Amino acid sequence: MANMRSKINEIYALEQLSGGDSAVHRRHPLVKLVSAFVYIVLVVSFGRTEFLRLAPFVFYPVVLMALSETPWRIVLGRMALALPFVIVAGASNIIFDRATAFTIGGIAVSFGTVSFFSILYRTFLCVTAVLLLVAVTPFAQLTDQLRRMHVPDVFVTLFEMIYRYIGVLLDEASTMYTAYMLRSTEHRGLQMAHMGSFVGQLLIRSYDRAERVYAAMKCRGYGGAARRGARRKLQPADYAYLALTCLPFILLRLVDAAAVFERLF
Amino acid sequence: MHMADALLSPAVGGAMYALGAAAVTYSAVKVKKDDLGEKKLPVMAVSGAFVFAAQMINFTIPGTGSSGHIGGGVLLAAMLGGAPALLTIAAVLIIQCLFFADGGLLALGANIFNIGVIPCLLAFPLIYKPILKRGFTFKRLTAASVITVVVGLQLGAFGVVLETLASGVTELPFGTFAVLMQPIHLAIGLIEGIITAAVLGFVYKMRPEIMESTVAGTPVGSQVSVKRVITVLAAATVIVGGALSLFASSNPDGLEWAIINTAGTAELEAADDIRQSAAQLQEKISFMPDYDYATAGEEGSSTGTTVAGIVGGAMTFVLAGVTGLLITLSKKKKGAAKA
Repeated sequence: MANMRSKINEIYALEQLSGGDSAVHRRHPLVKLVSAFVYIVLVVSFGRTEFLRLAPFVFYPVVLMALSETPWRIVLGRMALALPFVIVAGASNIIFDRATAFTIGGIAVSFGTVSFFSILYRTFLCVTAVLLLVAVTPFAQLTDQLRRMHVPDVFVTLFEMIYRYIGVLLDEASTMYTAYMLRSTEHRGLQMAHMGSFVGQLLIRSYDRAERVYAAMKCRGYGGAARRGARRKLQPADYAYLALTCLPFILLRLVDAAAVFERLF
Repeated sequence: MHMADALLSPAVGGAMYALGAAAVTYSAVKVKKDDLGEKKLPVMAVSGAFVFAAQMINFTIPGTGSSGHIGGGVLLAAMLGGAPALLTIAAVLIIQCLFFADGGLLALGANIFNIGVIPCLLAFPLIYKPILKRGFTFKRLTAASVITVVVGLQLGAFGVVLETLASGVTELPFGTFAVLMQPIHLAIGLIEGIITAAVLGFVYKMRPEIMESTVAGTPVGSQVSVKRVITVLAAATVIVGGALSLFASSNPDGLEWAIINTAGTAELEAADDIRQSAAQLQEKISFMPDYDYATAGEEGSSTGTTVAGIVGGAMTFVLAGVTGLLITLSKKKKGAAKA
């Protein structure tokens, strides 16, 4: 139950960030969506041990985060959720793949070690790219963009509503849990004997909430199909954003910058 | 069973996207055509939130050190019908991908296919519906749920194997991967099937017409009060969530476990031929066409990684960090000047 609260906080934290006003936030949702997608495809298209060639890709999250004033804490916190599995997988890599990749100062570094760091790094890049997209694009703009991209209206509306209902269901549960814990000082968690009334109560409440949410939507003129926002044209700045976020990385994919760099020495 | 971006090559990811998009479009058109309407939408949404809550919880599979979570496809299909269930599952998968980094953005199409299309549009109409056509009984309902979930999950797991293979992921030998994936998902499927049967049995007891109508293919909205359906689903959410929380585990789930045991790695590299063709392309476009990075590191290094390379990499990170810092500082200055 306690982790429900943190799940809700996770969702809301990202959505709150998306309300910011920065050069990145102001860009058209389409270019943000496209650039994130292109970036992830490029990152994934590298081989497992091509760690160095991926190094310059760190500019994407760093620069975007600085420009959009996205706090590192939130993104790294979300990373932490993905990490336990990645670390287990990476560690097994170190154990199984012992062929020496290169030696540095007499110490042999195995492919497993290289791929271990590569796994962590790639996870970091892909996860931050997706989280950044959500952090700089308001939810309404994102779904509006999906509709314009001819994603079926029923689906987008469903997507929006599930997103809201998750909060309704989880929020009610955690509020009740807090109230329960304040009244029950002797015990650490929910007692089995109270499960029935607790669950029953939660049931009534979440249903009432869901119905009120739906009624409120109806009162505000909701009639099945969502209303579209005003059409936004792509500005020169949007094209510039697209070019700046995509072209350098496409170039880095095609040209082995690390090798070129080594060549210079 | 959520696939990560690293499991797929861009080509396979793209192809699966097309399939997933087609399935979503088909379902959306079908939902619209059947005029399941606005009244059904809140039910679908609450069901989605229910699956979301259920999928958050991993339960341990005894004896394997592995754990699984509910896909929920069959459960939703039984409650809502195939097409609405697919839409709901797809929406849940997108939310998980965007907000929780669970399943990659590139892998979204593959995940919609494995977790949504297979149980909702294949297993449900081909197995579940025929079994229950002859009439509803608890026994038949249980059998239908368990068999449909097991078959759906087996096909889904096999889909993961095939997609991984098609991505040219040579690290995983097909046989070993399949031999590990299938039995694990059989175990997960049995557990999920039993849970699904229990939830459906409960719903059937409360509101039998909902589930009979999905088999008959008539819209629910007209005869069934939306209120009751939502109530029952919310109850199921709480019961499943509450019961499974007890088993919640931090162990890797079935897919993760299988990959770790097959490749000794959960990260998969692109096939040699793909890499070679990329290298050839690169050679053609490269500033220094005579420079072949694959053989460059022959003296004690096969990746071409040298001390200079490492220094270069480190410098890149430092440079990126400094850039970020400068932007942040200049923004702060601007903010201070404005104030």
